[in-house]
Amino acid sequence: MPSPFKAILADDEAPLLRYLADQLKQIWPELDICAEARNGIEALQAIEAHHPDIAFLDIKMPGMSGMEVARRSADLCHIVFITAYDQFAVQAFETAAVDYLLKPVEPQRLARTIQRLQQHLTRRTFDPASIHAVLRVLDERLPEAPSAGYLKWIKVPDRQSVRLIQVDEICCFQAQDKYTIVQTATQEFLIRKPIKSLCEELDPDMFWQIHRATIVNAAWIDKVSTSVTGSYVLTLKKRPGTLTVSRSYRDRFKSM
Amino acid sequence: MSPTHFEKSSKNLIGRAIQSSYNYKGISLKDLGLTAVFNCVLAGFLTFLLRDGTYWNYLIVTQCIGLSICVFCESGLWLFKPQSPWRMVLTVAAAILFGGLLGAVIGSLLTGIELATFVEQKIFTLRILVLCLVFGGIASFYFMAQDKITQTRQQLQEERIQRLNSEKLAVEARLKMLQAQIEPHFLFNTLSNILSLLDTEAVKGKAMLRDLTSYLRAALAETRTGQTTLGSEMALIHAYLNIFKIRMGERLQVQTDIDEALQAIPFSPMLIQPLVENAIIHGLDEEIHGGIIHIRAERENDILRITVADTGQGFKPGPAKGMGLANIRDRLEALYGGRGRLILTENQPTGIKAVIEVPYAKPL
Repeated sequence: MPSPFKAILADDEAPLLRYLADQLKQIWPELDICAEARNGIEALQAIEAHHPDIAFLDIKMPGMSGMEVARRSADLCHIVFITAYDQFAVQAFETAAVDYLLKPVEPQRLARTIQRLQQHLTRRTFDPASIHAVLRVLDERLPEAPSAGYLKWIKVPDRQSVRLIQVDEICCFQAQDKYTIVQTATQEFLIRKPIKSLCEELDPDMFWQIHRATIVNAAWIDKVSTSVTGSYVLTLKKRPGTLTVSRSYRDRFKSM
Repeated sequence: MSPTHFEKSSKNLIGRAIQSSYNYKGISLKDLGLTAVFNCVLAGFLTFLLRDGTYWNYLIVTQCIGLSICVFCESGLWLFKPQSPWRMVLTVAAAILFGGLLGAVIGSLLTGIELATFVEQKIFTLRILVLCLVFGGIASFYFMAQDKITQTRQQLQEERIQRLNSEKLAVEARLKMLQAQIEPHFLFNTLSNILSLLDTEAVKGKAMLRDLTSYLRAALAETRTGQTTLGSEMALIHAYLNIFKIRMGERLQVQTDIDEALQAIPFSPMLIQPLVENAIIHGLDEEIHGGIIHIRAERENDILRITVADTGQGFKPGPAKGMGLANIRDRLEALYGGRGRLILTENQPTGIKAVIEVPYAKPL
């Protein structure tokens, strides 16, 4: 008799983990569940330690997401994703013919999935490439995907603590020696980051440099007018005063 | 030719010229046409009344002077685009003067009648000019007023559109609130948990089902009334936290500090819940060992301060963690103006501390 197939289960929520284990024991009693992981890191360790044939992975787990675990072990074992609700993911799974289960796990659905698994495993026909393909697709859509890398938050020292300011709360940045003044609608803060670094780290569509020493949040511009000297002057929403655009940075406004 | 016809035709022309060129579109064919038609009639009238010239002559002179003034008026206004009533009157007066003179000269040349006949009657000419200017001025003011009325009407219309827009935004916000409250991920995950507990830990399963029911009922009720009390909002949040306590086990520790006296204070729904949701889903749930969530409500003089602090993973660049916060900020702005704020700071040793400050309102 061939050695039984091995599987590991991973879900951060204990009731769900137990439920899946119970269901599997009922429908596929010969399956050897060698490990139950409570987070992504444990899951990866279990896969590397036990070399299972199948890994049932919850998608949202602390430590390391189910996606990340799958990315690193798609070549080692067959992956079955488990998700509560995710339109995009489900669509992607369907398209790539990747196995997945919806929470709460229904016995009939589980039985069908198990049948497929048994077929693939006996014939050794499962294909890691489909997992990689689906992960690429999901990378673009799921919130866990790496963001564009632009700054979304600025940490500013505020008395005894560190305040977190979302970039869309910020009206403009003004250079002050090696520091930068961060201006919101009502307050000003001083941060150590120089204007140059900010230029590189902020979304250029959202923040426009209008002067060697000034970056403005484009959404806060109320009006652009021309001064007597011909330079552009910006009036801002929610804040009194104006900002002048220096000659070298005029181009953006010329097209308006 | 009597000077009166000059007077009559100019008056009407000025009126029409000013009206049509108020938009400063330049010379309008329609106005020239109307002027020409008016002049034909005027010429006939004058021939009949004065009997000192032929209809043909009257027609030529009328058309020359009239059309010339019309052209000068409209060109002048279009060229100089006067923005104030005085400037406009000045432009029109100059146009009448030059246009009239030019027209008279041309008319005289074409009909053979000497210009002298016009100039002879200097006093009449002066009187005519003054009358033209006065009439021109009155007409200007009238049309300025008309324009102001149109402008005001436009403004009212725009304000109405703005108001409808904000109402629409409010409705959309309520819809979004509704969607957020029945957030599918949360719903299916919780139902999943309930199902899995019913066989093996029925007591826990039933408790979770009760909590889910309370949460949904409270959330839906809030979207309908649009206003709630701090106590009710906290009850909703407690149901929410109970669900997560079962799901996360020891990974979630909850501490709440809400003074009895503050329970009945009126409060806007779904301002605190998103902060709690963020604290758990983006903060504590991301940590392998979870952590603590601490919710406190206190009154400091005129300010009501609500703090939601977690010891979770804290500030990490990446996912759309900020989404709910912009909405909270907008609503605080709309409800309290500058007196409502949302402040986020780093918690010690890890995590985030979110504070909502609003003006203190007496309990209901």
